[in-house]
Amino acid sequence: MKLKTLILAAALLGTAPVANADSLYDDLGGLDNITRFTNRLVDLTFTDPRTAHQFKQTKKDRLARLLVDQICEATGGPCRYKGVNMKKSHIKLGITEAEFNALVEQLQQAMSEADVPFHTQNRLLAILAPMKRDIVER
Amino acid sequence: MEKILIFLALIATGAAHAEESLFDSGKILATPGVIQVEGAGGSGLTPWAVISGYGTNRQIGGSAHHTYVTTGDFTLNATGVTVGLFDRLELSFTRQWFNTRSAGGRLGLGDGFKFNQDIVGAKVKVFGDAVYDQDKWMPQVSLGAQYKKADKGAIVRAVGAEGDDDIDLYLAASKILLEKSLVLTGTTRLTRANQFGLLGFGGPNGSNRSLQFEASAAYLLSRHFVVGADYRTKPDNLAFAEEDDAMAAYVVWLPSKHFTVTAAYTDLGKIALQGRQRGFYLSFQLGF
Repeated sequence: MKLKTLILAAALLGTAPVANADSLYDDLGGLDNITRFTNRLVDLTFTDPRTAHQFKQTKKDRLARLLVDQICEATGGPCRYKGVNMKKSHIKLGITEAEFNALVEQLQQAMSEADVPFHTQNRLLAILAPMKRDIVER
Repeated sequence: MEKILIFLALIATGAAHAEESLFDSGKILATPGVIQVEGAGGSGLTPWAVISGYGTNRQIGGSAHHTYVTTGDFTLNATGVTVGLFDRLELSFTRQWFNTRSAGGRLGLGDGFKFNQDIVGAKVKVFGDAVYDQDKWMPQVSLGAQYKKADKGAIVRAVGAEGDDDIDLYLAASKILLEKSLVLTGTTRLTRANQFGLLGFGGPNGSNRSLQFEASAAYLLSRHFVVGADYRTKPDNLAFAEEDDAMAAYVVWLPSKHFTVTAAYTDLGKIALQGRQRGFYLSFQLGF
């Protein structure tokens, strides 16, 4: 019993976190739905007091378009992100981990409202999460 | 003194960011786990490598828990507080009351005899990040210690324990696999605790700490529900009664960052000659 459980745990630890990017774009509902929840995300980001102050100098429509391209491309869709890289675009903004997480929560809300299933949401978050290293200040 | 100054400096840097308060619960829901039965951040039986509470690297988080376990012959209550400082250091205090009910009479201790213990815990994150490093294999790794003091020194010695207090040391590795909505933890513990320490430390079959293993797997079912299971090996130091491994299978309900309920089925194995102890585990947690 003991050994079996440990082997099972070891096997679970061995499963790879492989990004299944090809189908994620489709599972998110394609460009239409990505645009829908990204627009909603940006609305939330610009009004939520936890994040609004970081976006006072930001053009909302342009940000939404860049984010759609970025999510579309990262999930295997037919788009090209043409913005500045994450590190350059966030340097000196002093973004905190709490602000980054607030945006994650806004994205979760926006995706839920756009009927993206919870486990599909997590697959997108798995792709976006490492960006924290370039976005949040040290 | 130097440590106090560093601590104050950390608080000051945290407070310097006007937009967010020190107690703003900036972590993402469910990512700090719950409080395990000894007071550490983790799941039912197993400490995880994550730092408890919803405080980020600039914040402080904390919570209080009450945990109730009832098996065929015994009842365990545990109450405590756990604080997470800057997502780096976790400190906890938990008191456990182990009621022997009618088994106490059969063991010659008297019905309702209680073995109690206090547990002071500390855990420090060493490296890795369970949440954000989704593109890396490296888990988050933390080192922890639990100082345990059993209150019935004379009686635990009479049943063969060598002492009524000791320190457990553990190394926990946790990884959230968001792609699969899984949270996996493996923990190794150096301990000589008998029945978590409630029956003292060491005994005729082993007086030194031995290496024990714990594994925990949790599946994020939805935003507000998590299911999982823990398995934990234990030493078998006492001669008068055999001690087994423990397991728990649980469901956690997280309606918000401030309130959590964990309900579990648990099998603690044989305890004090009373046969295999299976039953229910219920834990409530309030925090930020």
